[in-house]
Amino acid sequence: MRSRRLLLVLLTALFGLATVSSDVAQAQGPKRGGTLRVSYGNDIANLDFHTASGYEMMWVAMNVGCGLVNITPDGKFVGDAAESWSMSPDGLLYTFKLRKNVLFHDGTKMDAAAVKFSIDRLMNPETKSAMRPFYGPVQSVEVVDPHTVQVRLKHPYAFFLHMLAGYRTGLVIYHPGATQKHTLQDRQQGKPEALPGCGPFRLVEWVKGSHLVMDRFDKYFVPGRPHLDRVMIRTIKDPVTEMAAFKAGEIDFIASFSPEHVDTLKAQNPRAQIMTGKETTPMVFQMKVTVPKDGKPHSKDRAPHPIFHDIRVRKAVGCFGIDRKEIVKIAFKGQATPWVGMNPPGTLDTVDVNHLCPYDQAKAKALLAEAGYGPSKPLTFELMTSTEKSVFNVIATVIKEQMARIGVTANIRLVDKVTWMNHALEDGPFDAHVEDLLSLLTLDSNPFLSAAGARWNQSRHTDTKINDYYARYARELDPAKRKAVAKELVEYAADKLYWNTISGSPFYMVAQPWVKGYTYNAEFEVHWDPVWLDK
Amino acid sequence: MRTYILRRLLQIVPTILMITLVVFLMMRSVPGDPVVALLGEAYTEESATQVRQEYGLDQPVLVQYFIWLGKLVQGDWGRSILSGRPVLKDVLVRLPVTLELIVLSMAVALAIAIPAAIVGALRQNTWADYTATTVALVGVSIPEFFIGVLLLLVFSFGLGGLLPSSGWVYLPGTCPTIVCSASLWGNMHHVLMPAFALGVGRAAILTRLLRASMLEVIRTEYVTTARAKGLAERPVVFKHALKNALIPTVTVMGLQVGFLIGGAIVVETLFAMPGLGTFGIDAIIGRDYQQVQGFALITAIAFVVMNLLVDLTYTFLDPRIRYA
Repeated sequence: MRSRRLLLVLLTALFGLATVSSDVAQAQGPKRGGTLRVSYGNDIANLDFHTASGYEMMWVAMNVGCGLVNITPDGKFVGDAAESWSMSPDGLLYTFKLRKNVLFHDGTKMDAAAVKFSIDRLMNPETKSAMRPFYGPVQSVEVVDPHTVQVRLKHPYAFFLHMLAGYRTGLVIYHPGATQKHTLQDRQQGKPEALPGCGPFRLVEWVKGSHLVMDRFDKYFVPGRPHLDRVMIRTIKDPVTEMAAFKAGEIDFIASFSPEHVDTLKAQNPRAQIMTGKETTPMVFQMKVTVPKDGKPHSKDRAPHPIFHDIRVRKAVGCFGIDRKEIVKIAFKGQATPWVGMNPPGTLDTVDVNHLCPYDQAKAKALLAEAGYGPSKPLTFELMTSTEKSVFNVIATVIKEQMARIGVTANIRLVDKVTWMNHALEDGPFDAHVEDLLSLLTLDSNPFLSAAGARWNQSRHTDTKINDYYARYARELDPAKRKAVAKELVEYAADKLYWNTISGSPFYMVAQPWVKGYTYNAEFEVHWDPVWLDK
Repeated sequence: MRTYILRRLLQIVPTILMITLVVFLMMRSVPGDPVVALLGEAYTEESATQVRQEYGLDQPVLVQYFIWLGKLVQGDWGRSILSGRPVLKDVLVRLPVTLELIVLSMAVALAIAIPAAIVGALRQNTWADYTATTVALVGVSIPEFFIGVLLLLVFSFGLGGLLPSSGWVYLPGTCPTIVCSASLWGNMHHVLMPAFALGVGRAAILTRLLRASMLEVIRTEYVTTARAKGLAERPVVFKHALKNALIPTVTVMGLQVGFLIGGAIVVETLFAMPGLGTFGIDAIIGRDYQQVQGFALITAIAFVVMNLLVDLTYTFLDPRIRYA
């Protein structure tokens, strides 16, 4: 009895000691050193930050490179290489004051000339950067002195700072000397000498399909940062393997975790930090409104799509015929928001227009009958989706079932990502598709997928009123007025079904309990310099 | 013998050329354009035309093939369209991983198959034989990925990470990259589950084959003679019966290399191994023509060389076989 009591006292004391030492560790602040082992679900395409696609590359770019500004989860701008900035009263001139202690990884100074070089480079059609359309409002970039750079705009652009901070990679400043000395292929294959950034980590090695290693840049301009010695990224494509590796402590951080496995991971790792936020990526079911008259993709000469050019059919199939709540329940286990509006609930100036598309089978059938479809002339269409994520296939299957309820046959066509890109994005032959292509920091980042004439216009509508809304929205500097324009735009697009959202597409990051200091900001900002390991 | 090897080596050349040509033509007929994947949102007709010119994709398919071939004979395997990386460099980085996986999975297969087949043959129609044949049947029926997932769940998930679920540790002295881990113990830890997952199916096939072959051999007169002259059972089985029974098994082992390469794609993806299997599948999915050609070339070489080695093994197993 006595020894049992003694054991109890000892255990309590040990527990108390462990708790105190953990608190002490927290109070002592970040520990320096260690390797953060990160897992990616997809491979990095290549490492030319100005031209490569995919978030996997972008998350490297944000840590190897530096830009002018960053954006916090609550939408505030914070300086990166710029210590301050100002906008002229007419909104046409931005002046950025650069920090004086910003160095590239080869030791040379990062100055205003490098900023001008980088923006000019992104705007040059020869660079073939996907960021180029976002720089459309930029008139010129001028170097005032080595630490001051001015960007002159053609017209006011309310989202200029958003764009610099978080559209795709945001602005990644390139080293002029290294960029001119090395070839595009050197950068694509990630030769460290071709990519000396000014970010907290310097690139050490990238072996495609194996690993990417970044080491701490000791002369990073933020004193004391980064805390980690090294970030090591590996690609683990199978979620089961990823979960096993996480449970066994082989990885510290999962950069993008599949939503359908979150519950399992939670159950297996009760202490894991599972990070998510309001959805910023729309899961879409897009219907093609026009097709090229001459059969040539991207032809400006358009003909009506034989099925979905009719707004009644679009409304029957994509609006009243779709039970968004059921899709969310089955495909996302309820962990997403059923949504109709173009920009999901986590995006700036989001507008809830769910009331425009209530699930109503009777209305859907009536509209189809009005359009001439019924038992004697059944409607059949092809629903394309890609194998990239298993959830696409699930959603397509649920839609197929929902279509059957209104007497419509949806034939699912499952293709790989490249084939999907060739068809859905390059104006290939398809009727409708399911995908979640892009996270939207703002509604303004979406015209390249939804404006008339845009190369990747998902529905291939030709209604320039959408473009006018976008232009008004982007140029309006008054936030209240801008919000009103956003409402008009989203309502109009939903009414015409030029854009058809099903729900938000949830995004998850997972970290071990010993990973400290990370600030979740969806896909837009992934920075490992504040991260430290408490172990 | 030397003439035979030389003749076989010469035969390898047209075989490999034929394989690469077929793969080349097949990849070009698959829908999907790598230039779209490369340029992404920056795709325009002008930029796509420029990129196609850079990579010679604007040429007729056969011309493209001969350009590729011309560069190949100069030691240039081309560059990945998507990542810009030299194909040969990537192949050489990944080859040791897959080679080790294949060799060890074959070792696993033999380690299971030989004893099971011997027991099955010597104790035909007993519980031991039934067990061996049933296990073999089950082994043949279960795909690699399923065994792999089961192993993961048991040894990585269930037993507190007893074996690592993913990644790779190289054998000492074989590190092909700047940053990598190398240790014999670590390597064995990492390769155990993938080799087992890949080897079990092959073990099952070899067990059934070897058992049938053993049954035939142990009934031959020379085995009866060996027993009659008073030889112990062990040398009868291992020296006289097994050695001869192995000949058809060795032939099949050579052919199994092709299946192992195919299985490696699945197993490497599951265990996130940086081998040729994941290289190949990524290349095919991304329509990275140059990489696919590199993958086809190296697997074709591996396959024909392995079959040559198999043929040469016959002379060891049966001294009556002579190559001229």
